[in-house]
Amino acid sequence: MKRLTRKKQSAGGFGVSENGSATREPDCGRKQKLAEIHQALISDPVDIETLRRTAASKGGLLTDELRRKVWPKLLNVNVYDLPHKPGRDVRENHKDYNQVLLDVRRSMKRFPKGMPAAERAVLQEQLIDIILEVLKRNPQLHYYQGYHDVAVTLLLVVGERMAIAMLDTLSNYHLRDFMDPTMDSTKHILNYLMPILEQVDVELHDFMIRAEVGTIFALSWLITWYGHVLSQFKHTLRLYDFFLASHPLMPIYLSATIVLHREREVKQTECDMAMVHHLLSRIPQDLPYELLIAQSQELFSQYPPSLLAKRAALQSRKSLSISTFQVFQLSTLHQRPDSVLQRLTKAQGSTTSRHASRHSGLEVALPRDRGQLWGQGNRMVKMAVWGLSATLGAAVFAVAQTALDWGPDVLQQLF
Amino acid sequence: MAEGGLSVEFPGSLKSSTLPPPRTRIFKIIVIGDSGVGKTCLTYRFSAGKFPEKTEATIAVDFRERLVEIDGENIKIQLWDTAGQERFRKSMVQHYYRNVHAVVFVYDVTNAASFRSLPAWIEECKQHALGTEVPRILVGNKCDLQDSIQVGTDVAQQFADAHSMPLFETSAKNPNGQGDGSFGGGNSDHVEAIFMTVAHKLKSQKPLVLSQPPVGSGGTINLSRGMNGGGDGARSWGCSSC
Repeated sequence: MKRLTRKKQSAGGFGVSENGSATREPDCGRKQKLAEIHQALISDPVDIETLRRTAASKGGLLTDELRRKVWPKLLNVNVYDLPHKPGRDVRENHKDYNQVLLDVRRSMKRFPKGMPAAERAVLQEQLIDIILEVLKRNPQLHYYQGYHDVAVTLLLVVGERMAIAMLDTLSNYHLRDFMDPTMDSTKHILNYLMPILEQVDVELHDFMIRAEVGTIFALSWLITWYGHVLSQFKHTLRLYDFFLASHPLMPIYLSATIVLHREREVKQTECDMAMVHHLLSRIPQDLPYELLIAQSQELFSQYPPSLLAKRAALQSRKSLSISTFQVFQLSTLHQRPDSVLQRLTKAQGSTTSRHASRHSGLEVALPRDRGQLWGQGNRMVKMAVWGLSATLGAAVFAVAQTALDWGPDVLQQLF
Repeated sequence: MAEGGLSVEFPGSLKSSTLPPPRTRIFKIIVIGDSGVGKTCLTYRFSAGKFPEKTEATIAVDFRERLVEIDGENIKIQLWDTAGQERFRKSMVQHYYRNVHAVVFVYDVTNAASFRSLPAWIEECKQHALGTEVPRILVGNKCDLQDSIQVGTDVAQQFADAHSMPLFETSAKNPNGQGDGSFGGGNSDHVEAIFMTVAHKLKSQKPLVLSQPPVGSGGTINLSRGMNGGGDGARSWGCSSC
């Protein structure tokens, strides 16, 4: 990585900083970081920029207790208005039921080593339920092997109900490309890997092209956010802090960083598809994660996706995760702190508004060319409830602004 | 695939200059079949010599290899263990069908659906231009689970015959006998015998069709039933040396 020129980073081209963590923090102490996070959480609106920056910077979010507070903010989830526990019917008549069951039942490795079997069994059943619940709410989404690795990470940290809300949002944004009926969009995301390498180390890039290794070695890294391949849960958590605070393409930048980190090993390997695939697909367990995270951020700001797309003719395919990211980020800007949310949610109370406000206007602003916006419910009624909700005044403003970008159709739907 | 959009021309000499001169022959074998039939366990059993404690869903493709000696020649057997979920095979695994020397189709004898999927897997191979000249074998896994068998040997044998493949019934968990799995450490590992059979076939390039059916009904090489008798089947395929 020494070839990486360490120039001062500038903000991304999106208006909102693209990875939400454009500046690297000085190596401040843990105490200071804790204080900073708490301050950001009680700010009104919540200081999402600081939360993103601290989630990505050295040490990440430090504790699971903090993760339970910050993760939902990073995804614009109201923790006082979470979805209910799925009922038994969630398992009925779902096309992916068997596959989910199969993958979850054999996902023992993902649970802490010392956990009693009975406890693990309960969590596995919850895992099946939350996956199926999110899939049922979003008929446009398709299960893939590896999705369960993401779901289990959320479940273990935030519990069943918050995991549903978080997984729902992640699936519609960051993971959206992986959940198409086919994996063509996923391939498109993988196609960013080689151009990044090419920018930094042409020799390594050319070696890998000659070996015809392809990019499948990084597939499980990408679609599970490394949850499938890391044996230590604390490393997975550290990366989840980072990715939850970053652009959806950040996992592929980390893949590039890891390959670059292993540059010597790769070049010393026989220039053969199987050999290079074998080497790269086995991720070393002692990677210097903090260093690699910082390097990924640098790569991202030096070679943002738009630049790569231009250089590598990657624009032929539309990525929903990329195209909706700006809207997603805007939606997170106007969140109220938990103390306010708790009061407001209690005051609001009714079950109708519960459903409508769960997404806090986020979905209203989004053009959904694939799939349904509001599930089976009556769209107009929900719109009205949402519109009347006094708690979301700020969000209305944000949404209206965003809607301007999307054109009059969306505005007409809104008002 | 990344390389699709980024084709860069390289002179052939570049490639050879990076290779070490002594060349071990490599046999590349792809293992395919439905999710959960035991592809990972079978390939792990062959490469590591034991049943894995915990296996997880395979995402895309995993690679395992083992160096073996056949008739005095060192040969590297590469096993490509693929994901069972359909979405992976449709657009991801095709890269790995290239230059495959042999195909192992796996079904689960306790899961009739996995057997019914076999024609789709065979079709899949055809689409990747793997013709009948590429040796193919059919493996029915998990036959230690005697009480839950859904796919009888007869019907599997008929299917194998119709597609000119030899059929092996075995158990990655307990390849040497029935029951409690306590035979796992024995000398004759039948999962090993299966892969070695393929390797022998590849080395000799003789047709992999049984001329003399060994023990078992209808030409099946039943590698699970009877811990002493099973070895005969393997031996008749000429791999007693392993």
